[in-house]
Amino acid sequence: MNVIPCSIKTLKGLYDISGVEVGQHFYWQIGGLQVHAQVLITSWVVIAILLGSVILAVRNPQTIPTGGQNFFEYVLEFIRDLSKTQIGEEYGPWVPFIGTMFLFIFVSNWSGALLPWKIIQLPHGELAAPTNDINTTVALALLTSVAYFYAGLSKKGLGYFGKYIQPTPILLPINILEDFTKPLSLSFRLFGNILADELVVVVLVSLVPSVVPIPVMFLGLFTSGIQALIFATLAAAYIGESMEGHH
Amino acid sequence: MSSTVMASAPSFTSTSQQFLSRVAPPCPIRLPTVSVIARAAHENGGKPRLPSRLLKRLALSSRHAAIAAAAAAAMVAASPLPALAEQMEKAALFDFNLTLPAIAIEFLLLMVALDKIYFTPLGKFMDERDAAIRAKLSDVKDTSGEVKELDDQAAAVMKAARAEISAALNQMKKESSAELEQKLAEGRKRVEAELAEALQNLERQKEETIKALDSQIAALSDEIVKKVLPTV
Repeated sequence: MNVIPCSIKTLKGLYDISGVEVGQHFYWQIGGLQVHAQVLITSWVVIAILLGSVILAVRNPQTIPTGGQNFFEYVLEFIRDLSKTQIGEEYGPWVPFIGTMFLFIFVSNWSGALLPWKIIQLPHGELAAPTNDINTTVALALLTSVAYFYAGLSKKGLGYFGKYIQPTPILLPINILEDFTKPLSLSFRLFGNILADELVVVVLVSLVPSVVPIPVMFLGLFTSGIQALIFATLAAAYIGESMEGHH
Repeated sequence: MSSTVMASAPSFTSTSQQFLSRVAPPCPIRLPTVSVIARAAHENGGKPRLPSRLLKRLALSSRHAAIAAAAAAAMVAASPLPALAEQMEKAALFDFNLTLPAIAIEFLLLMVALDKIYFTPLGKFMDERDAAIRAKLSDVKDTSGEVKELDDQAAAVMKAARAEISAALNQMKKESSAELEQKLAEGRKRVEAELAEALQNLERQKEETIKALDSQIAALSDEIVKKVLPTV
């Protein structure tokens, strides 16, 4: 008979000890509008890490690469390969978009797992991976949508919209629906995975503070990388799909 | 619902040390349901939609729950919103605001910057290096023909030299054998000549000896005849 209060009690107890601040944000007011400051701060850190390491490694390229240059050449090869597989021969102009997407998400995810954000106390909310916030993932997903529309329209002009009735006009609603489900699935997949990752780690750490969370942390690193890869691959696939010829 | 519950729970500063210090999960014996219901009710703008269900179930459940419900109602009625709950009021997972366009702009700026300092320059550098290596490789492939030609040339030179040497050797052999033969013939001739001379000498000595013997024989036979025939 005491099922409901008990479950609430346990839930609350779990929540209390985990100390996770889900949905808590540190707000800044900018011209009457609000922003999530913790997301902006961590994204600046991520951008600084990216730009700094790239500038350090690539400012003076050597014919025989060493250390950082070698690493970034490998990353560039990887991104080019990914874009080429998904987009095809005309992948060249899309490398910056796909590459930035991959690097930004990857470094964001890993920063959430590896950087000791908790050292810095915010008045409200807490610092975490920027991809932990739905705004970030939706922004990236919408940019992907814009990118693939731009790719299709610039390649085929208004004939691009012919793809909506492509196999048969009966599929028109589904084809239109796809344009909404693509950014939705992209953003929610990334958001959910990263948030769940951090929650699982935090809850486990609070329950068993020693060795046990370590495998989960490694799993978190793994999924973070996979999510970045999936996001970049799908973005490239959508762009390639809208550029390929329909007959 | 879960987000509402979580949102209305008190916030803990989430330093890991605090996690660590909590060895055993504390089971809240105080009445968490009261505050939950109260705040949820308040968040819904006085309309206790969600909690009404709860309240109904709780009312069914036990006397304890009924007391809790009463206390909740009393709290809603009596006290103004606690400061903590006000702080939590806007807590939400799906809270879209200016962060979204801000992140989008940041992303685009990052893309331009990375393109300027990473993707384009390093890509160009790598392509150029690739082309240079390819050119050098094809060069090497070309010179392999040259090497073969040189090899052939060397073989031809070797062959010619060998032929020359063997010819010279043959000639030398021939010359030396002719010389040898000549010398041999000379030697033989000389030996023959000496032999002939020696034989001649021998012959002459023989004749001389015979001549001398002849004269002696005549004298001797005269003596013999005198001795045998003294009367003559």
